[in-house]
Amino acid sequence: MSVLMLELDRLAKHFGRQVAVADVSLSVEKGEFVALMGPSGCGKTTLLRMVAGLDQPTAGEIRLWGRRINEDEPWRRDAPLVWQNYALFPFLNVRKNIEFGLKQRGVPAAARRKKAAEWMERFGIGALGERSTTQLSGGQRQRVALARALVTEPEMLLLDEPLSALDPHLKVRMQSELVRLHRELGITFICVTHSQSEAFAMASRVAILNDGRVQQVDRRSANRFVAEFVGCNNIIAGTVSKIDSTGLVLASALGEIRTAATGAAPARGTPVSLIVPADRIELLAAPQSGGNEIAARVATLEFVGSIVTVFLETVDGGELRTQRSLQDIERMALALGQPVVARWSPADGYLLEI
Amino acid sequence: MRPAALVRREARREAVRFALFWGAPSLVWQSLFFLVPMGFLVAMTFWSVRNFRLTPDFTLANWKFVLGASFFHSAYLYTLELSLLTSAAASIIAFPSAYALAFAVSARLRGLFVSMLLVPFFTSYPVRIYALEIILSPKGVINRTLADVGLAPIHLIGTPTATVIGYLTLALPVVVLLQTLALAGVDRTLVEAAHNLHCSRVRTIASVVLPSARTGLTVSAAFAFVLTFGDYIAPLYLGGSKPPTLSILIADQVKSGNNWPRASVVAVTMIVTLAAALAVMLGLAYRNPKGRS
Amino acid sequence: MIGAIGRRAALFAWTGVVFVFIFAPIISTITFSFNSARFPSLPWAGFSLKWYAAVLTGTTIRGSFTNSLVVAGATAVIATFIGFATAYVDYRYRFTGKTVYMALAALPPTVPVVILGVAMLTFEARLDLYGSLTGIIVAHVVLCAPFATALVRMRLADLDPDLEPAAWNLGATLWRTMSGVILPFCAAALLAAFFMAAAVSFDEFMIAWFVSGTHETLPVRILDMLQGQVSPRINAVGSLVFGVSITLVALAQLLSARRASNADRRGRDE
Repeated sequence: MSVLMLELDRLAKHFGRQVAVADVSLSVEKGEFVALMGPSGCGKTTLLRMVAGLDQPTAGEIRLWGRRINEDEPWRRDAPLVWQNYALFPFLNVRKNIEFGLKQRGVPAAARRKKAAEWMERFGIGALGERSTTQLSGGQRQRVALARALVTEPEMLLLDEPLSALDPHLKVRMQSELVRLHRELGITFICVTHSQSEAFAMASRVAILNDGRVQQVDRRSANRFVAEFVGCNNIIAGTVSKIDSTGLVLASALGEIRTAATGAAPARGTPVSLIVPADRIELLAAPQSGGNEIAARVATLEFVGSIVTVFLETVDGGELRTQRSLQDIERMALALGQPVVARWSPADGYLLEI
Repeated sequence: MRPAALVRREARREAVRFALFWGAPSLVWQSLFFLVPMGFLVAMTFWSVRNFRLTPDFTLANWKFVLGASFFHSAYLYTLELSLLTSAAASIIAFPSAYALAFAVSARLRGLFVSMLLVPFFTSYPVRIYALEIILSPKGVINRTLADVGLAPIHLIGTPTATVIGYLTLALPVVVLLQTLALAGVDRTLVEAAHNLHCSRVRTIASVVLPSARTGLTVSAAFAFVLTFGDYIAPLYLGGSKPPTLSILIADQVKSGNNWPRASVVAVTMIVTLAAALAVMLGLAYRNPKGRS
Repeated sequence: MIGAIGRRAALFAWTGVVFVFIFAPIISTITFSFNSARFPSLPWAGFSLKWYAAVLTGTTIRGSFTNSLVVAGATAVIATFIGFATAYVDYRYRFTGKTVYMALAALPPTVPVVILGVAMLTFEARLDLYGSLTGIIVAHVVLCAPFATALVRMRLADLDPDLEPAAWNLGATLWRTMSGVILPFCAAALLAAFFMAAAVSFDEFMIAWFVSGTHETLPVRILDMLQGQVSPRINAVGSLVFGVSITLVALAQLLSARRASNADRRGRDE
C-alpha cells in the first residue's frame, strides 16, 4: 500500500472559545484535485491555512508522506497558497513577485529570471514583467499569483476561493483553465470554495464541511444539511415498501414513489428521506405515464433572474418545489391555485439515510 | 530528519527571539528614560536639601511648604486662569475660520491651508515670541502706528494680556487645525437635512454642526489647555513673570534656587492637575450624548 | 443674495485675520532679518545681510548649530528605530498588557516639556549624563519616538494582512520577511519619521535648556540671546532655524512622495 501524500488526522482548531475546526480527518493522494466546500464559517479556510502552516492545530496531526509536520514553520513547507485577494507585493513588479519564492531558496538571479519568464509565458503574461501589480486587471493578477506559487514547482498547490474575485464570464473560463492546469502539471490541488457548482465542476473529490466537520466526501449528499445546502431540493419522507429489479418503491404521504437503487439498498421498512432536486421536476397539465407523478396546486411563484421557483401544495398539505426557466413558465400560463401534475424520473431522486 | 520535539522547540525559540527583538526597544527605552525619571521626580518630592546638597529622605516638608505658600497658590490660580481663558478664547476665535475652511472652501484649498497651519510647528517658538515682544513693545509696530495716528500708546509688555497673546500664538494653529478637521468630518447630509427642515444657518450650526463635531472641538480645547498650562516662554518674555506661572516657578527653583525637591512638588501638582483636567475634558468629549431614546 | 455674499466675505476676512495673526511673527522675523536697522520696526531702513554674516561668523552660534545637528541626527536614527519597532509590534502582535505597553510608548508628548526637562535633569545629574550631548539625545528620543511610531503605524495600517503570511508561505523566514516585505513597504514612512524626528529635536528648546549645560544646542543659545537686549541677530538665527526645519520637512515630503510613486511604477532594483 503506497503512503498517502497528505493526511489530516482528527484536526481541530480553536480560537479561544470559538471552534473553527472541530474534528476533521481527510486523506489526499498525490495528483488529486480536492475541493473543500461549505458556507462561510465552516472552517474550510482554516483547514487550508493549517496545511500551509499559518495556523497551528489545537489537536490532531497533519502528515506529509507519513511525517508529522504540525511544527514545521510556514517557510519550511512546500505548499504555496494562491490567496483569495492574491496578496501580491505592491512594491515589487510582476517579475519580482513571481521570482520571490525562488529568491528565498537561494536560486541565483539568472536562473530565477529564466524560470520566471517560462512561467509567465505559460500563463500568457510574458509582456507584463516590468509592470507594477497595482496596474493589472483581476484576471492578470490571478495569473501572476498562480505563476508566483507554481514557479518553485511544488508538489502541492493550495487555492483559497480562486474564482470568487472574478467576473462571471471569467469565472467559467478560469474553471476549465484550472482543471487543464491540474491535468498538465500532475500535482495535487487543494481548493477552498463556497460554490457548489465550482467544487463539483473542478474537483475529482469534494469534501463538504459544516461547523468545523466534514459532512461528506463525495458527490452524493449524505445528510439533511448537505441536501438543503446543495441546491434547491425537495425532501420527501417515506418508508421502503418494495425492492425489485428496477429499484425501490417508497410509501409516502404523497403515495407510492419509485426511485432508482444506488449502492446497497436499505431493508424493507426502513424510514428514509428521498431527495429530489427542484430542477428535475417538471410541470404537466394532465398526468402522462412514466415516472413519479404527484397531483398538486400552484401556491406561489418566485422570480429570480430567469429562474422561476414554483411552490406547489400537495394533496396531503405538504410542499414541493420545482425550478423552471422563465420561458417554460410563460408557455404554461400558470395561475395561482391551478391544479398541475409534478413529475420526475425515478433516476433523479436519491436516498438519504436518516 | 530532526526529531519533532527539537523542531518544535527551535521554531518557538526563533519566534520568541524575533518578537523580543522588536518588542524590547520601546519598553526598555521608555521605562529607563521616561518612567524612571518621572518616578524619580515623584520620589524627589520627599527628599531634602541639607547644606545645599540634595539628600535622599522621606519628608513631607517640601509638600507642606509649597502647598502652603501663598506664592504657590497665586501662581497656580494664575496659570489655571490664563490657560482656561486661552483655551476658551482660542476655541472661539478659531471657530469661524475653521468653519470657513471646512465648509466654504474646496478640498484642495483646504489641504493647502492645513499644510500652512503645520508651518508654525516647525518654527522656533521662542523666536516667534521674541518677534511678538518686538511688535508689542513700546517702540514696536503697534505703538508706533498708534503714535502716528495720534493715539496714546498701549502698555502691553509685562501684562497678562501679552501672555495670553503669546499663548494664542502657540495654541491657535493647533486649535484651528483640529477644529477644521473635526468640522470637515461632519456629515453634510445632516446639515442639508436640517436646512430642508427649515432650520436657519445659525440654528443649524448650533443644533447640528456643533453636536456632530463635539468630540473634535472638545479635544482641540483640551490640547490648547495642556499646551498653554505648561508653557514657559510666553509668560516669561511677554508677561514679565510677575506674577509667575507654575512653569516659571519650576525653572526658578531649579536654576537659581537649586531646590529640586520643591521644583518637583510644583511639577507633580502640574501633572495631577493636567491629568484631572484631561480626564474631565476627554470624558466630556467622548461620552454619549444624553437623551438618546 | 447680498446676505450670503456678505456672510462669506466676513468668514474669509476673519480667517484672514487669524492667519495673519499666526504668521505675523514668522513673517516679521524673516523680513526684519534683512533690515539694516538695529531695531526692527517701520520705516524700513534698507536691505542688508549683515546680521546673517554676524550670526554665521560667530563661533558660539556655529558651535551650538553643530550641536543641534548632531543631536537631531542621532535622535532621528534612534527614534526611527524605536518608532518602527513599536509600530510593528502594535501591528502584528496581541498580548496581555498591550494597552499599557502602547500607552507607555505614547505618553511622553502629553507631559509638559518643563516637567520632562526637570525630570530628565535630576535623573541625568545622578547618572553624570547632565551637560553632555548624550543626555540631550536620550531625552529627545523619548519625546520624538512617539511621532515616529505614529507615522509608521499609519503606513502599516495600509499593509495587506495577507502579505506577511504570503511571504512565509513562499519560503521567507521571519527575518527575511521583515527585510524583504515589511521594511520595503515602510521605506517612505521610515524616511518621513526620520526627518520628522530630526525636525522636532532640532527645534526643541525646553528640555535642552534644562539638560544641556555647556554643550548648548541652538534653541538654547537662542533662549540665552533672548535674555539680553533686543538683538537683530535673533531674527537672522530664527530665520535660519526656520529654513533648516522647513527643509527637513520638505525633504521628508518630497522623498516619500517620490519613492511611493516610483515603487508603483518601476519596482525595486535589488
